[in-house]
Amino acid sequence: MSHVRNHNESAWLLPAGPGSNHRLRDDMRTFDDRDEVDIVIVGCGAGGSTLLQRLARAGWRAVALDAGPFWDPDRDWVSDEAASHHLYWTDPRVIGGEDPVPLGSNNSGRGVGGSMVHYAGYTPRFHPSDFRTFTTDGVGADWPLDYADLRPYYEDIEEELPVAGESWPWGDPHRYPHRPHPVGGNGELFLRGARACGITAKVGPVAIANGRFGNRPHCIYRGFCLQGCKVNAKASPLITHIPDALAHGAEVRADSMVTRIGFDEGTGRATGVHYVRGGKERFQRARTVAVAGYSIETPRLLLNSISTRFPNGMCNDFDQVGRYLMVQGAPQTAGRFDAEVRMWKAPPPEVSTEDFYETDSAKPYKRGFSIQTVSPLPIAWAEHVAAQGHWGAELRRYMSDYPHWACLGALCEFLPLEGNRVTLADEKDRHGVPVARFSYSQCENDRQLMGAAQSVMEKILKAAGADEVITIKRYAHLVGGARMAANEYHGVVDRTCRSFAVPNLFITDGSVLPTQGSANPALTIMAVAARAAEGLSAGKED
Amino acid sequence: MSSLPLDKEAGGGRYPGFSTVAQSDHWDKTTAGVVLGRLARPADIRFFTPAEEATAKALFDQLLAQHAEPRIPVVNFVDARLAENQTDGWRYEDMPEDGEAWRTSLSALDRAAEESFNQSFANCSNEQQAAVLQAIQALGSSMWQGMPAGHVWGLWTRYACTAFYSHPRVWDEIGFGGPAYPRGYKNLGVDRLEPFEVADASPREDPVTHDGGVRP
Repeated sequence: MSHVRNHNESAWLLPAGPGSNHRLRDDMRTFDDRDEVDIVIVGCGAGGSTLLQRLARAGWRAVALDAGPFWDPDRDWVSDEAASHHLYWTDPRVIGGEDPVPLGSNNSGRGVGGSMVHYAGYTPRFHPSDFRTFTTDGVGADWPLDYADLRPYYEDIEEELPVAGESWPWGDPHRYPHRPHPVGGNGELFLRGARACGITAKVGPVAIANGRFGNRPHCIYRGFCLQGCKVNAKASPLITHIPDALAHGAEVRADSMVTRIGFDEGTGRATGVHYVRGGKERFQRARTVAVAGYSIETPRLLLNSISTRFPNGMCNDFDQVGRYLMVQGAPQTAGRFDAEVRMWKAPPPEVSTEDFYETDSAKPYKRGFSIQTVSPLPIAWAEHVAAQGHWGAELRRYMSDYPHWACLGALCEFLPLEGNRVTLADEKDRHGVPVARFSYSQCENDRQLMGAAQSVMEKILKAAGADEVITIKRYAHLVGGARMAANEYHGVVDRTCRSFAVPNLFITDGSVLPTQGSANPALTIMAVAARAAEGLSAGKED
Repeated sequence: MSSLPLDKEAGGGRYPGFSTVAQSDHWDKTTAGVVLGRLARPADIRFFTPAEEATAKALFDQLLAQHAEPRIPVVNFVDARLAENQTDGWRYEDMPEDGEAWRTSLSALDRAAEESFNQSFANCSNEQQAAVLQAIQALGSSMWQGMPAGHVWGLWTRYACTAFYSHPRVWDEIGFGGPAYPRGYKNLGVDRLEPFEVADASPREDPVTHDGGVRP
């Protein structure tokens, strides 16, 4: 029997059934800007919320700011694709490079819960090999910590979300706290095709409780995971960590856009954060600052935090801020079946294979990819069909065939490259702050992985009985941009997430990851933040 | 010619009698509000100039094969989005912000029509309009009227498809059930339908093998 409630009571603090605990929010402790809080955290997503909950439990006076709203799923979220636009970061951003990566709905969040509000829900662990790809494969980078350093935090977070799935045979083999969910047509065909090809595929791992968890209800398999879970079945920090944080005296200050980190030239320490709320410029004093704005906004905030000591941006002494930003190559291949698949029924995250995750010495490329079910709703599906060149009457004809298609997606481990980075554009946002420019170009290994992943997806779908397959090339997820490293010449933070340059400044989000594997990053981001929190609360911060 | 509902010859009529809106009693009020709002009289044009409106409407009619009434008022939906600056949260370095990109690309589309057919895009015949668009699409990532053709094409089709495939009457055409909260689904799996779903009446109407259905 799990003791998760003893260290994170969130699921029991929510009302029984869907909805929010409005009382908990109304009664939330609040701090004054002039109070020197123990920590101010920038961003309430996977990393920031986990850190907030852990430190509030440890008795820290903690405030987390988010640029977006404190969601009320009943009122703010809908069972509809187009009307979910407000879940994404839609302030201006510029993309360039040889292979520009679209942002927005694809990989960014806004508001309490971050992009986990609209992620699919896949929560695989990284493999032990991900932490030493340079030593083992001669590509990427070695982390300044090992898989074993993160394992206990993986186990904790898997309990807290909680994660459902079959016994997992890949990487460090492990079990999940909840049993696998039943699968819909898409998952059924993936399992059938994989079996016919001799590929191992498993149901999970998804952060959707299978059965009641605390007061959170069972999934209703409505298929709108990417639009925010109104049911409270799919995990996001809004329901997995924020309620417990509030119950332990933390403040969540929403609608607060942080524009600059305060810095004392005399002491060399961060003093708090400058932010804008309701049009007013404010400053929250803090003893410690943690940045958790994800791979675009974290580097942007550091680069915009200029001082005499840091003329090129805070922590940017060695031109590391914004670099080694990664996306995963995420081609999606769909197959056409005479039977009705109706892939929009059931959650998009159902079945995965990690058979191709590790370097295969028989292949010309290093590292690998994973394959998972994805189940695009009509607008995303139209994008897939339009990417084949169809428009007009042909587009309409293809689209009316929607119930007959199954769709798989790959996550290819694109390598961390120095030139893939965030810089500041000339353009400014409505607060007058320069926006991020994100430049991305693939390397040859990346392109080979994309091709290999597409071939395997085509093979699986055809083995399941598809008579035709169509692919759209796309990207998913973001990590890196302020990576952890052994020293300040190769990264921005150390193995505890503390910045090399400012002793009381931490970065606790996906931007610290040096490599990405072929795994969806949410679980690892939370585990890294939980580990950083343990270091902080043990008093190692000075 | 295709319209709503789509002709059987054009791939329509596959889910006879299916109506997403007929299920709206099973939707939560917040969702019902936004989805049923799309059936209401569309907002007046605020962003596009009259000339841009005419060009944009002709463009959307082509991209979505809406050649006769009744139509989904795609031009109004896109206009409302642009008026509210509801962008996707990024722009290509070699393109202006979306609103400006729309104005620039629509006037470029008129210029292209003038060059080929001596009249504005909206005044061109159906075949002439299709030819102009076909030529732009064929450019791929090459430049068109000073912009990368692929980025312009992507802008147009993204906005067009988002407006069109968010409309409940179009969901009826593609068999999609629409909002599913709080009811959810209970019959998961291949060929397993809910009592309210309507099976495809022409399951072998495969667009891939349909004559003329594949573009090179």
